[in-house]
Amino acid sequence: MFRIEYRTQRLSLRFFMVMLVLFFFQTALGLLLSAQHLDPTLLAGTLNFNVIRTQHLNLAIFWVLCGFIGTILFVGPLLSKRELASPWLIKFLFYALLAVVVWNLATQMLAQQGIAGWWMGQPLLQEGLEYLEAGRIADVVILIGFAILCYVVLRTFPPVSQWNEIHWGLGLGVLALTLVWIFGMFFVERLDLQEYFRWYVVHYWVEGVWEVIHISLVGFLLVLLFKADVKSVGYAVFWGISLVWLSGLIGNAHHYFWIGTPEFWQFWGSLFSALEPLPLIFCFWHIYLDAHQDGKPIPNMPAFAFLLGSVVLEQVGAGILGFTMTFALTNVWSHGTWVTASHAHLALFGTFGMLGLAAAYYAVPIMRGVTNFDQRPGKLAFWLVFTGMLGLGFAFAIGGTVQVFVYRTLGLDWFGGDIGPAMLFSKALVPLFGLVFAAGVCLIAYDLLTLGLREPSAAAGAAEAPAPAGWGGHLTGWETGIWLLGMWVFGAIITLGLLSFNLRTVQEGNALIPYVMGGTGYPGLLLVTLFFVRRFLRSLEARGHARAAPPVSAAAAPAGA
Amino acid sequence: MSCKPGEPCHEGVKRRRALAVLGLMGIIFLALSGVSFINSRGQVVPSKVTYAGFDAVRGKRVFQSYNCMGCHTVVGNGAYFGPDLTKLYAGVGPAWLEAFLPSAGAWPTSGAVKLQLQDKAIAAEAGVDTIEAYLEKYPAAAERINRRGGKSTHMPNLPFSRDDVHELVAFLKYTSEMNTEGWPPVPKVDGLTFAQATPMPVAARQAALSPAEGAGPAAATPISASAHGAELAEENGCTACHAKDRQRLVGPGWGGLYGSTVKLADGSSVVADDAYLTEKILKPDAKVVAGFEAGVMPSFAEILDADQIKDVVAYIRSLGGN
Repeated sequence: MFRIEYRTQRLSLRFFMVMLVLFFFQTALGLLLSAQHLDPTLLAGTLNFNVIRTQHLNLAIFWVLCGFIGTILFVGPLLSKRELASPWLIKFLFYALLAVVVWNLATQMLAQQGIAGWWMGQPLLQEGLEYLEAGRIADVVILIGFAILCYVVLRTFPPVSQWNEIHWGLGLGVLALTLVWIFGMFFVERLDLQEYFRWYVVHYWVEGVWEVIHISLVGFLLVLLFKADVKSVGYAVFWGISLVWLSGLIGNAHHYFWIGTPEFWQFWGSLFSALEPLPLIFCFWHIYLDAHQDGKPIPNMPAFAFLLGSVVLEQVGAGILGFTMTFALTNVWSHGTWVTASHAHLALFGTFGMLGLAAAYYAVPIMRGVTNFDQRPGKLAFWLVFTGMLGLGFAFAIGGTVQVFVYRTLGLDWFGGDIGPAMLFSKALVPLFGLVFAAGVCLIAYDLLTLGLREPSAAAGAAEAPAPAGWGGHLTGWETGIWLLGMWVFGAIITLGLLSFNLRTVQEGNALIPYVMGGTGYPGLLLVTLFFVRRFLRSLEARGHARAAPPVSAAAAPAGA
Repeated sequence: MSCKPGEPCHEGVKRRRALAVLGLMGIIFLALSGVSFINSRGQVVPSKVTYAGFDAVRGKRVFQSYNCMGCHTVVGNGAYFGPDLTKLYAGVGPAWLEAFLPSAGAWPTSGAVKLQLQDKAIAAEAGVDTIEAYLEKYPAAAERINRRGGKSTHMPNLPFSRDDVHELVAFLKYTSEMNTEGWPPVPKVDGLTFAQATPMPVAARQAALSPAEGAGPAAATPISASAHGAELAEENGCTACHAKDRQRLVGPGWGGLYGSTVKLADGSSVVADDAYLTEKILKPDAKVVAGFEAGVMPSFAEILDADQIKDVVAYIRSLGGN
């Protein structure tokens, strides 16, 4: 177990290490942004908000991709039972990635001078579109990088006739990753048409491609962590991917409500994107089943903690918070406010970021040949980033609720004079939770960068398991269902709170209903999430304790049959 | 939905069925998309929108070049750091935007907006040619001038050229003409007069509702030429671009300027005396200072009379120099 089986798996290590470095800088820039929200004159004219925010978004995309690539390279040989094809191409991909990150860092600064490098009608250096800020030169290099990834993955995989569902998920995932990127490579004159195609990239990436890669990788990591059966996990992967695509394809319509496209999108978007949480509930349920198919202790707790965090935050950030603002009647209020930033932070970092971190925590000790590493920094770091991110989600959501009322209901539009002061409390919470998060990031980066290279701590592996009672007691399927139901109840309160902005009394200037519902729903949802993850992890940790005694129960395994 | 080991899962069949349903949905999606962008829908397109002879498509390029979405939102997408720009043009009108954009670090005063209305093309786009009629037609501009005029904004000054400004206004004209299906929602109450809800202090609101109050007694007492010049510079928006010290905002700072030797863009140099400063106020593009662009500063020939210009020059003189 603590040895890699194929030599080329080691190529993933460098991607994980770069991921950690980019993650660190992305977090630092996020902290700077939160400081600029408090004091907009900070660095204004030197490093304008838009440039830093662009880097914050682009680095997020880059490090999530690093995590994906690292994970794919690590599991690729295991899935294919042979070495990766063309290792030299992967090395080239790595240096191309570094070059593109540095190039993009430099060219985005030109936005302060209004230089986009127009040539033949295309912006070569930077193009000032949210998430797709990279200029055409970087776009082309990134496209080549994706093509290399596709080539390596598909050449490494066995012939199509021998593919299982995980091969299908990853194979289709990397192909779609490449194809969808092309839609962002043109200057479009019409704003409505440009937004239409921009969401092809952004929505189909996260909802269509990343989600599919995520499901496949979570599935395979579960196979590795729990020795779960590939076939049963693969079957779950099949249903997950089917549901993602069947809901997400037309679900993209929730981005077409107000961009100048016709009203009928409001019907299609509200209907189909309300179905988008279905695959996430499915994935959520499956991690419970796989973790409980036997009562054995988990050898690598940090890896599992991040994997669980990924699936749970996918449920909460993408599933529930996405659901609350997916209906035209709620989206008309949440659109263009901090409410969406709450969803975006929890969903993007939670789902995709945590997956990369989980994979790194699984793979790095193996590649460094460490048999028994000190898991305490990893576990502590998980709780820091998890709590920090839930706190950030809370701050954005509350700030967003206030913003909707002041900006949309009262019609005040002076950000410096009216809206900023009204949101001040939330704006102050962001750097506060941001610091908690950043502490976790530093710890993760330190722990993984030096894992196996530093002197092992004396107490390594000596952490005592909690008693298998109370928080550490066996987690039944029923109880998990109740926790999930609790999350959705608070999600419903949030949805109704957003819906209440349509009420006449609110429109006449009485904020009581949306404030009370938002003030109950958001903290309720996030606290249930926090406690559920604590409950889940404690019950798994207690297995170490339970091992001496007779196994608590192995009955949960066939529950999903 | 789980398939146990050893059982037949019929994966191939299910995979094909799922792909068939997906294909059907793809067709629905593409059909809806096709209908969304046909001409007969009547959605406005930027190539058909012109503003004072400037093209909205070029404006969109300027909008992207400066990464405006990195702070603002447009059709609700962007960064939520600054306000949404989609319907801004309809609210504040072209003259306010023309006054605001070149010196974005400061909120325009009514004098600065009035100055823009001297431009026949801008006045024609606004549909009015006096400041009074303008403020009546564009209440959002009136609100901004009354509450914020002369104060500093949270936006940095950006190096827009004159054409950049016109083109950006053309783009904002296009977005405000777009049919966005009723978004953003129209407020049913006026936040400014809403006592419990508005975060604006009561004193500021009262000042906003009676903007001309302080002007009466001040005009009655005789004041020095330089103090009068300072008032004029404030009212007419000069201070949005020119700092009292040597700092460069949009144009050169006034501190220490008087009597100094100024290097011009054509390589010659000139002493900043009364005659030079007066000429710059009347014909700003005649002698462009090295490092600055022509066409950014408007002419004040129609706004200030000879005595007023003398007072402004006196004010600049009072800010130091040889």
